[in-house]
Amino acid sequence: MGKMPLNLFQLNLEKIPGFDAMTAEDFSGATNEEKASMIETRPSVSYWKDAARRFRANKVSMAALILFLLIFLFSYLGPLFIPYNYADQYRNSSKLGPREFSAKEQLLQKAEDISDLFFATSLMPGSLTSLSRSTTYYFKTQGVTYSFYVEKAIGDSVLLFNRDAENKLTLIKEKDLGKDALDNAKTVEYSTEAIDTKAPNVVELKMLKRICPHFFGTDSAGRDLMARTMYGGRVSIAIGIIAALIVLIIGSIYGSVSGLAGGTVDFVMMRLVDIIYSVPDVLIVLLLQVVLKNPLQSWLDASPSNFARLMSNLGVGIISIFITFACLYWVGMSRIVRGQVLQLKQQEFVTAANALGVPGRRIVKRHLLPNCVGQLVIATCLQIPSAIFLESFLSFLGLGVSIPMTSLGSLCSDALDTITLYPYRLLAPGLILTLLVLSLNLVGDGIRDALDPRLKK
Amino acid sequence: MAGYILKRILVAFLTLLLIMTITFFLMNAVPGSPFLTEKSTPEMIARANAKYGLDKPLIVQLFNYIKNYLRGDMGTSLKMQEGTAVTKIIFQEGKFALSFKLGVCAVIVAVLIGVPLGCLAAYNRGRWVDSVLRVVTTLGVAVPSFVLCAVLLIFLGVRLQWVPVFSGSLDTWKAYVAPVIGLSFYPMCYVAKLTRTSMLDAIHQDYIRTARAKGLKTRFIIFKHALRNSMIPVITYLGPMTAGIVTGGFVVEQTFQIPGLGKYFISSILNRDYPIIMATTVVLAALVIIMNLVVDIAYKLVDPRISLTKGDR
Amino acid sequence: MENNTMKAAEKLLEVKDLKVSFYTPVGEVKAVDGISYDLKEHEVMGIVGESGSGKSVEAYSIIGLLQSPGKVIGGSIVFDGENVLEYDEEKMRQFRGNKVSMIFQNPMTCLNPVYTVGNQLMEALTCHNREIGRKEAWDRAVEMLKLVGINNAEKRMAQYPHEFSGGMRQRAMIAMALICSPKLLIADEPTTALDVTIQAQILELMKDIQKKTGMAIIFITHNLGVVAEICDRVSVMYAGQIVEQGSVQDIFYSPAHPYTRGLLRSMPRVDELEHERLIPIEGTPVDLLNPPAGCAFGPRCENCMKICLAHRPPLLDVGEDRHVSACWLHVKEMKEAQQE
Repeated sequence: MGKMPLNLFQLNLEKIPGFDAMTAEDFSGATNEEKASMIETRPSVSYWKDAARRFRANKVSMAALILFLLIFLFSYLGPLFIPYNYADQYRNSSKLGPREFSAKEQLLQKAEDISDLFFATSLMPGSLTSLSRSTTYYFKTQGVTYSFYVEKAIGDSVLLFNRDAENKLTLIKEKDLGKDALDNAKTVEYSTEAIDTKAPNVVELKMLKRICPHFFGTDSAGRDLMARTMYGGRVSIAIGIIAALIVLIIGSIYGSVSGLAGGTVDFVMMRLVDIIYSVPDVLIVLLLQVVLKNPLQSWLDASPSNFARLMSNLGVGIISIFITFACLYWVGMSRIVRGQVLQLKQQEFVTAANALGVPGRRIVKRHLLPNCVGQLVIATCLQIPSAIFLESFLSFLGLGVSIPMTSLGSLCSDALDTITLYPYRLLAPGLILTLLVLSLNLVGDGIRDALDPRLKK
Repeated sequence: MAGYILKRILVAFLTLLLIMTITFFLMNAVPGSPFLTEKSTPEMIARANAKYGLDKPLIVQLFNYIKNYLRGDMGTSLKMQEGTAVTKIIFQEGKFALSFKLGVCAVIVAVLIGVPLGCLAAYNRGRWVDSVLRVVTTLGVAVPSFVLCAVLLIFLGVRLQWVPVFSGSLDTWKAYVAPVIGLSFYPMCYVAKLTRTSMLDAIHQDYIRTARAKGLKTRFIIFKHALRNSMIPVITYLGPMTAGIVTGGFVVEQTFQIPGLGKYFISSILNRDYPIIMATTVVLAALVIIMNLVVDIAYKLVDPRISLTKGDR
Repeated sequence: MENNTMKAAEKLLEVKDLKVSFYTPVGEVKAVDGISYDLKEHEVMGIVGESGSGKSVEAYSIIGLLQSPGKVIGGSIVFDGENVLEYDEEKMRQFRGNKVSMIFQNPMTCLNPVYTVGNQLMEALTCHNREIGRKEAWDRAVEMLKLVGINNAEKRMAQYPHEFSGGMRQRAMIAMALICSPKLLIADEPTTALDVTIQAQILELMKDIQKKTGMAIIFITHNLGVVAEICDRVSVMYAGQIVEQGSVQDIFYSPAHPYTRGLLRSMPRVDELEHERLIPIEGTPVDLLNPPAGCAFGPRCENCMKICLAHRPPLLDVGEDRHVSACWLHVKEMKEAQQE
């Protein structure tokens, strides 16, 4: 250590508070531990934890995430709670407004009010079509089995059970349904004698589920719009996620191959991307829809495999959407991945791995992918709403999913056909579609801000 | 510059040829003859095939098809208006003009309103104006155009009766209102968002710091130094925006019953009238490609860094 | 170098107990924590320190360019007898670029790519002097370009920044900064982003111009070699505080603060006959979110004492010509001298 050429007389003692009180101990050397203890180490937070913290701190994205989860639950768990199905057409229930009941349903509701239990034949899905003469019917309630048989076959009707009504069931025939139906009702006697419930001619009557209003109304064919909206939501969300995954997989493979290979291969691969990029995509999507529809249908009809059956449940429209995504929409993703790969290729750890003779596949897996995962997550998240958008657009034009399967887009399209008469039909699917895309956009933005705070403005 | 433009035109032309080829092969991949109806006998199909040259090898057909298109012959409609020349349907019956007028209006509205809104938001960053605009634009890019169109139709057309419910052939200025809003709302919101982001981005650049250090007025800095730089991403978006407006036109024309090219294209798809599908695709694709070309050249005027003589990037 | 400073020069700039904080979501960062210094007219002051030591923040607060969330929270900056911290927005604007101007680190990004160099030069002049005509402004800009050694100045005026090389752009930046003949130029690491040969040229140019115009310069850098080239006085900053200040001679030949000594030892010197080993300063720069209670340099200091752990050392005069240093070692020596 060099000499300190200090002119001690220059030191101004008044500037130093408590100079006289200082002891030699104060000026003894500090140990390394003491020095280290001066620095309060902040707990080091991992990248992902830090990102998660930032995401949680972002109120808008959290609200959007909750909104998305609500729509998700509505679509996937909702159908468990309503007795209607997306495909079933309920007789006499067509063109109902929101929360409305058909005349029959109103009567059933009245019956529900005045009786302890009630049964209906064929009015509701899953009920009997008629009661026949040679069969004993029974039903159980509170541990007691009641049985009865009818003298004459009875067609569509409602049977009311009242504990106080002295062994009699009230019977209302369908054709009598109306204002005074209850006054004109006939009765059927029942007994509480033990019967062999396993005998071939004995049939159990199931109590009807509670009458559920059509919250969103019904369409012109008598399908419940709420059930359809739920299933439409399912389809839209599933299409968005699957399409984004397809894009992710194809895009990352293509992009990383192009970026890693470099040179002529990269040049050729990227020119292909440029060309696909400059082709107006929606036009080609529409053409593909047209072209794929027939061959796909015939392939699905012909193929006996489970896969094909699953596919045909989805419908040709949806599959061709996936195919178009696989053909056209990966280019953006492949550009992102290639950019990341090229950037990372320059970095030391990759050069080091290369110098050590680590095989290319391993470099991709261990070094490149973990490093561009952030970008991939962001791009994938923002791909989902755009896939939903495209699907709804195609469905709206009548080129997406086909009846009776539905999606939010095709529901809007249906609603638009009768928009001047029944404007409310657009409300639920339109709103849910908008909120779905909105929430996914905001969640994607939130993830981007959380993963890459530099991008935040 | 001239060399670049020439090269760029060549690339655009090649892209168009590629699209024509894709369309051709896609249409040929559809099983069955386009003349296959319940009544047609094998002889009739063979005769029709011979008449339209469909009995020749595919590559010859492709060559003929491109040659015909270059001569301005786009074939004749097979189903929708049987026997009428496609060029006549598209161009002479006003379909193209109708869609074109609507699209141009939408582009103008989107840019002339979107850019100022974005500037306003960036200038008032963090204040209520910014918040309101942010909510509107975020919603705007999430509402599907058909939902928006339906809402416009109900409110402006049915409830308030300010504009005709169905716009028809756009005979009065009022007929334009709803379709133009419906068509331009998404791009307008997108442009506003883009302008705001790139404006804020530009404000954080070093050259803005230099400008401030020089003692320029804030307003002057924003309008001279930040705006021009932040217009670069907006100009880039004009290409995709044209494509978006072309496809948005399908929805808008469908909703407001405007007998334009978009509506006709969709019905030709639903009716599988192949010559019309092919011709419309090519015309619309050409429109988008030309717009991309214009955008690339407009770029140079705004950003001198892009050296147009060396490559396209 | 110091022989061209006029001894009786007036105080041009007086910074007193300046405090600047950044209010970030994770807490307050005291980027500048109570620094004071004077700058005389025609004087060239070097501010040296590691990145993050607050040297640029301090300079930005003089010229009113602090970006939010940065905020001056205390002290005063008196320029030519006026406290610039009290200026309103318009007054500050007229002050910037006119009386004090600034050049920056990265000349590649500091010029607006979409306007010609001439345009950007002229607007620096016209925004402070509205009467100036276009022709006059053009001539003045050409003159400035010539002054900073740009050949073919007329032709260069019409060119865009991307047609300039890095060194040329920095020259253009200097021309732009000088166009209103300011009294003080703040140079924020003007040579850091340039090639070594270009660095030397720019330094030579700045020295030359300083001699010609006689303006004062605050030269911010982390490179002590550059300081030796151009400065009269040097302030060494660490963790938002000035730890040592003095003339170039004092700092280079009789450094008082362990940090300054550490900096000098980590700097390669060509003039030494024997090749001394370069010794880096151990440890990492201080975390400004959580600064240590005592001396900020304590944890990295090889002479660290018990008192350093708890108390911040005061700035003490340690020599002639305003040579000050903030270290308990001086107090220790004094104590020992007293006891003898």
